[in-house]
Amino acid sequence: MDDQVYGEKMKIRKSTIIVHIIAWSVALIWVLPFLGVFMAATRPWGEISHGWWNFAEFNPTFENFVAAWTDERASIAVGMLNSFLVAIPSTVMPMLVASLAGYGFARFSFPIRNYLFLTIVLIMAIPQQMIAVPIFQIMSSLGLVSNYIGLILVHSAWGLAWIILFMRNYFLTLPVEIEEAARVDGASDFKIFYKIVLPMALPALASVAVLQFMWVWNDFFLAQILIYDPEMLLATQRVSRMRGQYIVSWDLLSAASILVMIVPVLIFALLQKYYIKGMVGWTVKG
Amino acid sequence: MRTEIISAKKNLPLFFSPALILIVLFVLFPVLQTIYISFFSSSGEFVGLDNYHDVLTSKEILNLGDVSQGLSQPYGLGALVHNMLWILIHLPLSMFSGLALAIILRDVKGASVVKSAIFLGMVTPMIVGGLILQFTFEEGVGIVNGFFNILGLEQLTRTWTAHPETALFAVIFGSVWLWTGFSLIVYSAGLATIPREYYEAAKIDGATPFRTFFRITFPLLKPMTLVVITMTLLWELKIFDIVWAAVGEGGGPGQASNVLALQMYVWAFRSFDFNRAAAVATILTALTLVVSVWMIRYMVKK
Amino acid sequence: MKMPTTMENVITVLVLIAIVTSAGSLWYGLTVADDVGTLTDSVATLVDQMGDLATSVASVATSVADLATATTADLAAIADDITAISDRVKEVEKEIGPTLTVIGPWSGAEMDAFLPVLAAFENKTGTKVSYRIYRAEDLAPILPAQFAAGQAPGDVIFMWNWFIQEKGEEGHILEVTGLIDEADFRPGVLDLVKVDNKLYGGAYTGKGKPGFWYRKSFFTANGLTVPTTWAEFLTLVDDIAAIPGIVNPILSGDGVGWPLSDITEHFIATYGGPQLHRDLTNGTVAWNSTQVETLFTDRIVPLLDGDFSDPKTWDTYIENWWNGSEYGLYFMGSWITGMVDDPTDLGVFSLPEAPGAEGVVFSADYFFVPAYTEHPKEALELFEFLASEEGQSHQVAEGGHIATNINVPLDAYPPGVDTDMAIAMTGKETLLDLDDTIGGEFQTTFWSQLQLLWVQPAQLDAVLDAIEAKAP
Repeated sequence: MDDQVYGEKMKIRKSTIIVHIIAWSVALIWVLPFLGVFMAATRPWGEISHGWWNFAEFNPTFENFVAAWTDERASIAVGMLNSFLVAIPSTVMPMLVASLAGYGFARFSFPIRNYLFLTIVLIMAIPQQMIAVPIFQIMSSLGLVSNYIGLILVHSAWGLAWIILFMRNYFLTLPVEIEEAARVDGASDFKIFYKIVLPMALPALASVAVLQFMWVWNDFFLAQILIYDPEMLLATQRVSRMRGQYIVSWDLLSAASILVMIVPVLIFALLQKYYIKGMVGWTVKG
Repeated sequence: MRTEIISAKKNLPLFFSPALILIVLFVLFPVLQTIYISFFSSSGEFVGLDNYHDVLTSKEILNLGDVSQGLSQPYGLGALVHNMLWILIHLPLSMFSGLALAIILRDVKGASVVKSAIFLGMVTPMIVGGLILQFTFEEGVGIVNGFFNILGLEQLTRTWTAHPETALFAVIFGSVWLWTGFSLIVYSAGLATIPREYYEAAKIDGATPFRTFFRITFPLLKPMTLVVITMTLLWELKIFDIVWAAVGEGGGPGQASNVLALQMYVWAFRSFDFNRAAAVATILTALTLVVSVWMIRYMVKK
Repeated sequence: MKMPTTMENVITVLVLIAIVTSAGSLWYGLTVADDVGTLTDSVATLVDQMGDLATSVASVATSVADLATATTADLAAIADDITAISDRVKEVEKEIGPTLTVIGPWSGAEMDAFLPVLAAFENKTGTKVSYRIYRAEDLAPILPAQFAAGQAPGDVIFMWNWFIQEKGEEGHILEVTGLIDEADFRPGVLDLVKVDNKLYGGAYTGKGKPGFWYRKSFFTANGLTVPTTWAEFLTLVDDIAAIPGIVNPILSGDGVGWPLSDITEHFIATYGGPQLHRDLTNGTVAWNSTQVETLFTDRIVPLLDGDFSDPKTWDTYIENWWNGSEYGLYFMGSWITGMVDDPTDLGVFSLPEAPGAEGVVFSADYFFVPAYTEHPKEALELFEFLASEEGQSHQVAEGGHIATNINVPLDAYPPGVDTDMAIAMTGKETLLDLDDTIGGEFQTTFWSQLQLLWVQPAQLDAVLDAIEAKAP
C-alpha cells in the first residue's frame, strides 16, 4: 500500500519536473531575441558580428544608451517625453468620454440603441489605413499637422469604440439597485454616474487606462501620418528614423529600441493584473 | 438581473454627444471620405470602379500570373496573397501554441513569469518588434542562424529577410513569436474558469488526456477561441509596423513580403496617389468587416 | 432637496467644455511655448537695440549743439563723428534685419559640415541664418498644404529635384531664371530643376560615387593591385576570394536599398556609357532592352554568384570590411571618408576598361526659394551664395562634398581622397544619380527589385521588366 502511494508520488514528481523543464525552456527560448538586442546594445559590434552568444570577448558598455538618449537628431529622451505628452491625454479623454457613452448604452433604453451600439462595435474592425488620408487632410486644413492636439484627438476618437464596448459590458455587471435608490433620492442621472457608478468602475477604468496608454505609446502609423517636425517626433518614430539614413548603426538602434520598450514593459510588469483583465474582458458578454 | 433604468430622455445628449461628436468627426467622416475618393481619379473626375480594377490587377497587390515562380519573382505573389498566407500560417500556429502553452503552464510554479516572458512580444511596440526580427534573422548575428550552425546545418544560414522566398515566411514566423502571448493569456484565463471537477470526473471515467481535451476543454474554450481568432485575423490583415521595420518600406526584396497596409501607405504618402490608396484601404476594410460581422453574429446569438 | 436638473446639466456641460478648452490651450501653449519664448527674446533684443539707437541719436543731438556753440575750429573732427554714427546706425539696421531659415536634411556630423557655410554667409552679408532639419520625405507631405495656405516653413529649402520642378510649375516657387549662370555649373545639372527653360532651383554640392573602395594596407599586405582591365578586375576579385577569412570579395551595402542602385549605375555608366545612363534617366531606352540586358548579363550577373555579398542591412558591416578583413571591396559614395578612422588608408578605383567615354555618377543637392518667403531679397542672396563658387568652396573644404559649380578651384578640397575624387570627376562626364532624378515610385521599385536581383540573379528578365514598368 505504502509502496503504491510512493510510486504514484514519484510518477507525479517526474512528470511535473518534465513539465517544469519544458515551460522554463520555452520561456528562455522566447526571450532569446530580446537578449540578442540587449547584447547588440551593450557590446561593440566587432564582438557580436558573428553571433552574440560568443563571449570570448566581453566588453559591455552603456554608451549606446547614453548616445541614443541624447542623440541630437533623434534623441530618445525627447521622443519619450513627446510620447507621454500624447499618450496621457489620449488615455484620459477617451476614458471619460467613453465611460459616459458606455453607461448610456448599459442603462438607457432608446429606439436606436442597438443599431448605434452595433455601429460602434463595427468601427473597432476598421483599420487605421482607412482614415489615414482624410485625417491627414483634415488636420492639414486645421493647421494641426505636427501638432499634438490633432494626434490626441484622433487617438481618442479611435479608442472610443473599444472602450465604449468594454465599459458598457462592465457596467452591465453592476447591480442596478444602488443607482435606482439614488434616483429615488432625487439625484440626476449624471450625478449618479459621476458619484456612484464611476467609483465602482475603478478597476475597469484601470484596465482601460493601461491598455489604451500602451496602445497609444506603441503606435507608429498615426504618428507617422501626422507628426513631421523633427523636434516633435514620438519615441516610436525616432527609433525607426535611426535606421535608413546614410549612416546606420545597429548598436545605437538597439539601445534606442530597448529604451522605448521599457515604458510599456514596466507598465505591464507593474499593472499586469489590470492589463490581463482588460484583454480577457473581451470574453465577458453582456 | 435587471440592468436598465427608465431613462430621462433629455439626458441622452449629455452621455452620448462627446463620444458621438469625436467618432463622427474623426472616424466616420474620414471613412466615408476615403470611400468617396476611391471612386475618383487624381484629377477629380469620377471613374467608378477603375481604381479598384487598377488595384486588383496591379502586380503589387495580386501577382498570380506565374505562380510557379512563387515568391522569387518581382512582387512575390502580391500583397493580398501575402496577407492571406500570413493568416493561413500565423493564425493556427499562434493560436495552438498559445493553447498548448496555456495547458502546459497550468500547473507550473512561477507560471506567471513564464507567461510574462512570452507575452513580452505583445507589449513591445511593433516597430521595435520588426527591428528585432530583422536582427534575429540576419546572417551571422541573429540567433536563427546560430541555431542552424549549432545543429550543423550551415548551408541553411543566410539573411532570411533578404531572400524573397524566405522573407515573407521569416516575418510571419517572427510575428508568431510576437503574438503567441495573446492567445496564451486568453486561453490561460479561460482554462482557469473550467472547474476542476470536470477533469476529476473525466479521470474517474477513465478518459485519456486527449479525450479530455477534445471533449471537455476545447469546447468549453470556444468563446476564447472565437476572441483569439477574431483579434488575430484583424491584426493579420492590418499588419504594417512589423513589415516596415523588418524589411523596409519597399516591402522586402522585390517586394516579396509586401502587405496591403504597407502598399497603401506607399501609394498614399510616397507616390501621393491618394485615390488608389483609398481603394486599397476600402478593400482592406471590407475584409476586416467580414471578420467582425462574423464575430458579432456569434455575440448576438448568445 | 431637489436641484433643477436642466440647470445642473447645463452647468456640467459648460464645465466640461471649459476643462477641454483649457486643457487644449495648455497643450497648445506647451507646443508653441518655444515660439513664444523666441518671440519674447526677439522683442527683448529689439528693445535693447532701440535703446542703442536712442543713445546714438542722443549723441548726434549733442554734437549738433556743440556745433551751434562751437567755433569754426575742428570741422574735420565733427565730420568724423558723424561718419562713425552713421556706420553705427547701419550696423544696428543690419542687426534688426531678418533672420533667414534654411531647411535641409542633414543632421549630426553632416549638419556640422554645413553650418560653417551658413556662418560664412552671415559674416559676408550680415543676414542671420538659422537651420532646421527636415528629411525630404517628411517635407513632401506637408509642403503642399503649406503652399496652399500661402505659407512656407523656410526661406531656402533643400528638396528633391523633381519636387522642385513640380511645385515650380504650379507656381509655388520663385522663378530664378537668369539669377545664376548655367555656364558656371556642370553640364546638365541645372536642367533637373528647370521646367520649359524656366529655372526654379539651384544646385548645391553633392556626393560622387566613384567606384570600389579598398583599404590600401589590406591590398599591400595581400599583394593586390588596382586593376586596369576587366580581366584584371575579375582576377582581383578571385584573388580576394581566396584569401582566408574573406566571406565575400565585395561587400554589398544595403540600408534602404540605394547602395545597390549606386553599384548598378556605376556599371551602366562605365560599360554602357554616359549616353545610355542619360537615356535610361529620360526613358528613351527601356530597361528590358537587349542593350541593357546584355550589360547586366555580361558584367553584373556573373559577379552575383558569390562575389557580391548578400545585401547587408547595416553600415555596421563597414567594421567587418575595414577592421575584420572579411570583405575586400566596398562600393560607396564619397562620404565614406567620414566613416572610417583612417581616411588616408582609403583607396578607390573605378571599373576599368570603359569601352567609350566615361561617366561618374553624382548626386547633387538642390534647393529653392518658396514664393511665400517673407524675405525674398535676402533669400535670393542666400540662394546665389549657395550656388556660387564662394559658397561651395566653403562646403567642399569641409570634406566629403563635390561642387556643382565648376569654378570651384581644386585647392578648395581637402588634400587626399577628396582632391583625388575632384580630379577624377574633372576628367569625366558627370552623370546625375538616376533614381534620385526620377524619384517617386520608380525609386522604391528600383531599389526593391535590385535587392531581389542580388539574391536571385536568375530573375534578371523579370526584374528588368518590373523596373521598366515604372520607368518614365
